[in-house]
Amino acid sequence: METATHMLRTGRRGTLFEYQMALRDLRASVGRMDLAWSLAWHDVSSRYRGSILGPFWITLSMGLMVMGIGVVYANLFGIALQDFLPLVALGIVFFGTISGTITEGCDTFVQAAGMLSQTSLPMFTFVWRTMFRNVINLGHHLVIVIAVLIYYGFWRHANAPVAALGLVFLVLNAGWISMLAGLASARFRDIPQIVTSVMQFAIFVTPVFWPVERLGSHKWVLDFNPFYHMLQAVRAPLMGGQVAAHTYLFLAGMAVVGWAVTFSIFATIRRRIVHYL
Amino acid sequence: MKAPPVSISCQGLTLRFPVYGVDAKSLKKHLAKITVGGKLGRSHGSTEVTALSNLNMELKAGDRLGLVGHNGSGKTTLLRALSGAYEPDEGAIEVKGRIAPLLDLNLGIDPSATGYENIRLRGRIAGLSAKEVDARMDEIAAFTGLGPFLAMPVKTYSAGMQARLAFAAATSVEADVLLMDEWIAVGDAEFQQLAHKRLLKLVERAGILVLASHDLDLLRLYCNKVMRMEGGVASPVTDIRKLDELMAA
Repeated sequence: METATHMLRTGRRGTLFEYQMALRDLRASVGRMDLAWSLAWHDVSSRYRGSILGPFWITLSMGLMVMGIGVVYANLFGIALQDFLPLVALGIVFFGTISGTITEGCDTFVQAAGMLSQTSLPMFTFVWRTMFRNVINLGHHLVIVIAVLIYYGFWRHANAPVAALGLVFLVLNAGWISMLAGLASARFRDIPQIVTSVMQFAIFVTPVFWPVERLGSHKWVLDFNPFYHMLQAVRAPLMGGQVAAHTYLFLAGMAVVGWAVTFSIFATIRRRIVHYL
Repeated sequence: MKAPPVSISCQGLTLRFPVYGVDAKSLKKHLAKITVGGKLGRSHGSTEVTALSNLNMELKAGDRLGLVGHNGSGKTTLLRALSGAYEPDEGAIEVKGRIAPLLDLNLGIDPSATGYENIRLRGRIAGLSAKEVDARMDEIAAFTGLGPFLAMPVKTYSAGMQARLAFAAATSVEADVLLMDEWIAVGDAEFQQLAHKRLLKLVERAGILVLASHDLDLLRLYCNKVMRMEGGVASPVTDIRKLDELMAA
């Protein structure tokens, strides 16, 4: 019932031991996944407390942005609105989840300083909290996705199960980047600014607002953009397109390597994190 | 139901604080001579404070340990280490039993959320399931004495009302090991008495109490053992009746 009925904390006992302790933290957080959910829900509901629309405010502002950009760019590019608006809508919503998870990841540990410095709550709990919060937000934004897909008739070709698989890859990858940003931000306070700038840059070099075809013969550069693959894995199936096999390969590889690296860093600095804060 | 054995064991516990982003080079020489605070050292580019050094202690059920010492002598650090938040750099801490750290009552209190929500949140953080919190809600709500105010955001509360809420929520979890930084006295005279009773009951039920305080009379009242800390070095755990000798030493 209480946080721990048996607690053992010891000094360093070699690298392997540090990994075991990090794994124990991970396992403890999985056992208390419901706490991470509660915290995430609390975050969402307290951010919009007192407002009538609640979290749908971001949905609304996102909807306006989709309309604005969709209409203007469709004219600039000379593309039919019914092809372009869904592209932009899905792009903005799913890229929003990617960039939200990553930029909010910077605050993961800093925000939890109070709890981390006087309880034995697992650190991973706060990583899940950030991820869940963004998944909950995405849940609200799905309204836009569904509305657009129905209005423009894409729902007939949409392949939801494949898109769901893509979403799993998206969340998995955004998750490790988020945690890595959190660990780095705890130690170096310049990181949040850097991360924000990088994500701002990323939204323009990733085909969020523009169709891939516009790149012409330069299309290959996108293969090196991880955000393109994350976005593509969700957006393409919803718009009746195919996801290239190498996109899945890229995402799977990135998730494995990314989590391995992040977990190793976590294992190495785990006992120091609370002192950074 | 037989209670599992409750115990705390610290062996060779050493805790060093890296202080980041502070260049304490010039201050080092001065600070090292002052009795307040731990020892400062330097390694890997960051200044290190040795907050606890080679601390050994064994506590079993029924022990009520008082911690005395200057500001910065390591009392709070020890409490936080016992709560599981700080990892030792050397040695080991082993705690058997459910730990309730009552170090900061305002932990997890969200001013924009209502009283009820805060009770729920605090309960969840302390390890209760949603159902368990709901089961206790009436009792906790009654104890706060805040009545209809519980449905209002905590930021509209007076400081005293906030303290009532925080205290009621924090002490709603029974535990085997109670960690306290100073004896908690909150609210008006009437509430202080209620709080006092509740705290005593909690202490009675808990197997072990570790209480850090500067108030020697208070320690005499609630503790049966005492440990004096100075610059991160702890005296052996001694009987409370020898407190005067310990302080004179």
